[in-house]
Amino acid sequence: MGDARFAAGPRLAMLTAAALALAWAIAAIVAIDPGALSPTTYAAALPAAKPADIAAGVGLILAGGLAGTEERARRLGVLAVLAGLAWFGADLEGWENGPPFLRSVGAAVSPFMLALVFHIALALPHGRLRSTAARTAVVGAYGITTAVSLGRGLFRDPLLDLYCWRNCRDNSFLVHTDPGIASALGDVWLWSGLAIALCLITFGGHRLVVASGPGRRVLLPLLGPAMLVGATHTAYAVTLLRTPLENPESANFAAIFLASSLSLALLALGLVWNVLRFPRTRARVAQLASELGEAPPPGTLREALAAALGDPGIDVLYPRRDSRQLIDADGRPTKLPPSGRSAARITRGDRTIALVLHDPVLVDEAELGRALGSATKLSVENEALRAEGLAQLHELGASRTRIVEAGDSARRGLERNLHDGAQQRLLALSYDLRLARAGAVADRDEEFVAVLDTAADETTTALDELRELAHGIYPAILTEAGLAVALATLADGAPLPVELGDVASERQPPSVETTAYVTVAEAIEDAARRGASFAAVRVAREGSRLVIAVDDDGAPRSSRLLHLADRVGALAGTLHVGDTDLRAEMPCE
Amino acid sequence: MRVVVAEDVMLTREGIVRLLEDAGIEVVAQAQDAESLLRQVRVTQPDAAVVDIRMPPTHTDEGLVATQQIRTEHPAIGVLVLSQYVEPSYAMRLLEEHPEGVGYLLKQRVFEGAVLVDALRRIADGETVVDPTIVARLFGRRRREDPLTELTAREREVLGLLAEGLSNRAIASRLYVTERTVEAHVKQIFLKLGLDLNPDSHRRVLAVLACLRGERPDEI
Repeated sequence: MGDARFAAGPRLAMLTAAALALAWAIAAIVAIDPGALSPTTYAAALPAAKPADIAAGVGLILAGGLAGTEERARRLGVLAVLAGLAWFGADLEGWENGPPFLRSVGAAVSPFMLALVFHIALALPHGRLRSTAARTAVVGAYGITTAVSLGRGLFRDPLLDLYCWRNCRDNSFLVHTDPGIASALGDVWLWSGLAIALCLITFGGHRLVVASGPGRRVLLPLLGPAMLVGATHTAYAVTLLRTPLENPESANFAAIFLASSLSLALLALGLVWNVLRFPRTRARVAQLASELGEAPPPGTLREALAAALGDPGIDVLYPRRDSRQLIDADGRPTKLPPSGRSAARITRGDRTIALVLHDPVLVDEAELGRALGSATKLSVENEALRAEGLAQLHELGASRTRIVEAGDSARRGLERNLHDGAQQRLLALSYDLRLARAGAVADRDEEFVAVLDTAADETTTALDELRELAHGIYPAILTEAGLAVALATLADGAPLPVELGDVASERQPPSVETTAYVTVAEAIEDAARRGASFAAVRVAREGSRLVIAVDDDGAPRSSRLLHLADRVGALAGTLHVGDTDLRAEMPCE
Repeated sequence: MRVVVAEDVMLTREGIVRLLEDAGIEVVAQAQDAESLLRQVRVTQPDAAVVDIRMPPTHTDEGLVATQQIRTEHPAIGVLVLSQYVEPSYAMRLLEEHPEGVGYLLKQRVFEGAVLVDALRRIADGETVVDPTIVARLFGRRRREDPLTELTAREREVLGLLAEGLSNRAIASRLYVTERTVEAHVKQIFLKLGLDLNPDSHRRVLAVLACLRGERPDEI
């Protein structure tokens, strides 16, 4: 009961407004009198002008009315209707035999057409002014127009106006005759109108340039004609500066008028086009909602949203459970891009489950919210869970790699310490022994010489053993000269003949080289354990992967060399272990 | 004889210097890295240089690089490279560009008897020196079809000394035979190993090492 009453009020108001607008338009059309001696409207001056004039005004009013039926285009619709009414105001002003009051009202409202088109241009695509700068500009435009219109209404006496042509007789609002003020206001209007028109063109151009491809397609049907209106007004102002008396029969002014009408008609068409977009999007969004409700394949949410909303650049990011980090659908950490797109939050309760980054021109937040109703949120949450799972998997892999690398790094350090520490000291010791021996020989102390010789032998043995030990811990030659050289040395000391085939000579990352070396070393040892008579080793670079192959002729394997698989797997590689063959593949960038 | 010593570990450098001076060799300059080594060599023009293979800044193969530069700029100056590692690859790399007047010794061998002085003298005479440990390592390498089995015991002995860089005359005096005999052995060895090279060529040491490593002769 209460709802019906609530609905009735606005509807009544709308009907009343529609009726008034209609009356206004009819009056304007009637006002055009082609037979007058000295034309007071453009429509009367040229045969082509009348249909153009009507088309512009009626087009705007009808387009605005159509826009009013679509909730999201309503604001633009209202502005368009007002612009159409302001446009007809000029014709009403020129109604020779019309009621003076109507003529005065027409004169007062007609300047607003420019400010209204300016407002429309800045409020695209959703009808809202998005920045303080835009709001200031629009308020400024309306302000100046109001001041000029009010001033001209109050102080301009048509009988004393040298440059009047539309209305040289009636002004119902005249309060005090002051031709000076009236003329000054006329100049103000000229210059400010020019400024507004140029602002419109600049702003419109900038907006088109920074928009994305699809965004431009949405903006152009409305912004293009609006910019044309700005251009024609600029031309009008410039022509007026050169010839202050506006003459509808002159070629310049006539052409400008026709151009203006055409631009406004195009604007009306653009508005209609814009309005028709919404049902299409609604249909796609409804389809999306049903698709999402049926649990789409994992990882496809982004594509579905992009297709439904017509924004191919849409991105969906998911916040991690434990941290504020954002990941994409594959679990990879992503940073929020700096600017250019809006971020819409999808929440479940008080928790944000996803962030949708979209082009604000193409997608409205409300539309997005509609697309992602509660049923589809389950799909979104599904994707978020999957992304979280993948992220944890990546982390596990990274930590595994770090563990292996830490182990290798520790071994390299051990070898270095042995080399720089104990080995150096033993060397120095052997030198001291040598000197002592030389002294003992000089003293002819044969017993001492013998003792020192034994000591020197022991030192040499110790040095040899230390060297082998260090090499077993980590072959320093691997870091110094790379895989090819290290494998050649490995083959020199192997317990069975090793045929070293081609070995890729480019250097790889240290972890890759170490794992490759360890793989070959273990494979050779395993071959020896199984009684092989030889082993063939090949290391090749295939694309972005390093491939290691070791084949031997020993007894079939019983162990699958799991520890090697672990190490190779930690580098995101694969290990295939056969009976007498082995193949490891690792990514090496 | 005048030598320059390049080694960045002070203790070892001083040890080498004392040993040299003890043996009557004049150490005209010392250096701690490749740059100062090259400078000193240009200035003092010694008979030979003793160079550690690992020096600043990367501590990998600065010594090898410096050796090539010295041999190219001053063909009359020999270079003895010292290393703590038994690395046949490094030795072969050394011999690839300049087979004469260079040597590769393990640091620990330096303190054995007259090894250091001996090596320097041979290098200054334009011969080659390869540490016996490296030769032994390559000899001990397991092979599928072992060409060494076709050699007689004597021939294997000669091959080993040849691989150490000894000249025919030096091999002869080591084995107490005539130089003629040694020449004949060497010709036979090269035939059996399939080495297509003049047995008296300066590159014979490298050829033998490569052969021992199982690298095909035409790869040399």
